[in-house]
Amino acid sequence: MSNPYIPLLTTVKSIVSENKVNDIKTIELKFKKEEDYKSFNYIPGQFAEISLIGKGECPIGIASSPTEEGSIKFTIKKMGEVTSGFHKCGIGDIVGVRGPCGNGWPMEEIKGKNIVVIGGGFAFSTLRSLILYVLDEKYRSDYKDVTVIYGNRDSSEVLYREILEEWEKRDDIKIVLTIDREEEGWTREVGFVAAIVKKVAPSPDNAVAVVCGPPIMIKTAVAELVNLGWKDEQILNSLEMRMKCGIGKCGRCNIGNKFVCVDGPVFSLAELKKLPNEY
Amino acid sequence: MGEKLLNKSDIGKLINELGKEYSIYAATNDKQGNIIFDKIEKAEDILLDYLNSKIPPKSVLFPKVETLFEYEIKDDDIEITNPKDLYEKRIIFGIRPCDAYSFQLFENFFGYGQFKDELFKTKKENTILFGIGCNLPRQTCFCTSVEGHPHKKDDVDVFLVDLGDKYLVESISEKGKNIVQKLSWLSNTTEADIQKAKELSKLAEESMSTKIDIKKVIKIFQENFDNPIWDDISMSCIGCGSCTLLCPTCHCFDVIDENDPMSKKGRRIRLWDTCQSSIYTLETSGHNPRPNKVQRFRNRILHKFCYYPTNYDLIGCVGCGRCINICPVNNDLRNIFNSILKIEKKEEVKVV
Repeated sequence: MSNPYIPLLTTVKSIVSENKVNDIKTIELKFKKEEDYKSFNYIPGQFAEISLIGKGECPIGIASSPTEEGSIKFTIKKMGEVTSGFHKCGIGDIVGVRGPCGNGWPMEEIKGKNIVVIGGGFAFSTLRSLILYVLDEKYRSDYKDVTVIYGNRDSSEVLYREILEEWEKRDDIKIVLTIDREEEGWTREVGFVAAIVKKVAPSPDNAVAVVCGPPIMIKTAVAELVNLGWKDEQILNSLEMRMKCGIGKCGRCNIGNKFVCVDGPVFSLAELKKLPNEY
Repeated sequence: MGEKLLNKSDIGKLINELGKEYSIYAATNDKQGNIIFDKIEKAEDILLDYLNSKIPPKSVLFPKVETLFEYEIKDDDIEITNPKDLYEKRIIFGIRPCDAYSFQLFENFFGYGQFKDELFKTKKENTILFGIGCNLPRQTCFCTSVEGHPHKKDDVDVFLVDLGDKYLVESISEKGKNIVQKLSWLSNTTEADIQKAKELSKLAEESMSTKIDIKKVIKIFQENFDNPIWDDISMSCIGCGSCTLLCPTCHCFDVIDENDPMSKKGRRIRLWDTCQSSIYTLETSGHNPRPNKVQRFRNRILHKFCYYPTNYDLIGCVGCGRCINICPVNNDLRNIFNSILKIEKKEEVKVV
């Protein structure tokens, strides 16, 4: 019998503090058994149920890309019991991982398209995964231009600075960073994500938008895309929902007859319009 | 394979014999006098003329608190083991047809999709169901409205009909045939016994006072998510969640770790949970997709009569009537059906 609630065991390989207030950390995990790592085949946009045995389990988006071989990464904000536990973790601590869960970004279906990435706050993690995947030399020719609009409350909250700098050196990706209010020394955009979407005005021609962030950001940014002529099928959202099992059994992440954990977390706007407004 | 007869005075003998190989679970009184399904030590404790148990027998295979796995934290490792009782050979004795059907729904749901709930599946595979027909359905029963029947045999392995001083014993599945064959001392039936069982089945069906056109109800539910009628029919609900906790088809659960820091041992468990509670969907960020009672109330009803039929072409209700009996504010599912059915009538009037 294979018990779907038993996690695979990993150990913490590295810990990076991602922001000034130190409430967001990226934790890198290495599977204890090589065969477990090999069985953990994921695509960008999927999540995993990660746990500290004895404390509990929570669903977290996978921040690493499958092209970053040898380990997996999770960017975790300190919020409750379990996430605070992760913030106390040290190198070598044991972490349970179940997954990968959910559908992920439709990497096959969006081949040959321009990709507009719209993210806000620390929800940028699965977008990091997607961008790294698309820019990897193995897959780069499968996708066209990449535009990234990434917003934060203030400059100290911008995640993955090193990797953002690397991306900015490339000529096949356009990065637009924005913060909510003016700040001394900030030379990039200022304003909410939706306003910057309007300003950048990405073309819907042969393109797909991947959107992930707080509910209000998704709502306003998507409205701007629609104003710019984007069709519902071209707009992909990754949703959040309270979850326990991650495998469609515990019940709580339903939107109508769909479970976000197995039917999502990625839904096109066209799909969402068919569902009740309970997300 | 014909039917057999079991004298009521031989129940003890039957339970003793079956008890050698199986753990026997049956309806019995708990300390508070509630009828529940529990492991039986002596045959005298078994209730067979009960109308329906307060807590459904889902508690045998999907208990209120269930171990998902056990763990022991060691210096640089964690040892994880499966729960111990998965392969216990069980007989659930005297289960009602509606509750037996709820196991089918559980098997369907827990066995659906890429990830299967192997815990439930394994327990169910090791379980034999002895069903018993309802000769006297309760006034709140409505199984015949949701594709059930007080004498439905399909979902059990062995089916019993109470003929007064004896039971008609009919084996339904292969598992059932094998076990009944071993009970060589059961006596043979006469044509009169079989005839009487048929009559009892018919009488039971006729005594069902509730008759609802469920297909019509489902169709209206599917088309009326935003109808203001939800405000009316959820008005009296106090959100206690009793209806979901005592529902034989409700499967939602919470997961927590139960830890003993001294021994560094513990277990991850699941507990029955209810969609009627606001924290059920409350996210860590503070966002709640179903913050209001009316949304949670609608979710319970639509889960059973809209989402379940849409996803699996099955009705997520077995008509046991427990939610009607237990509701502290008498928010009766049958009244909800009647209110819903009026929606269409109004529209028809409009058209004319």
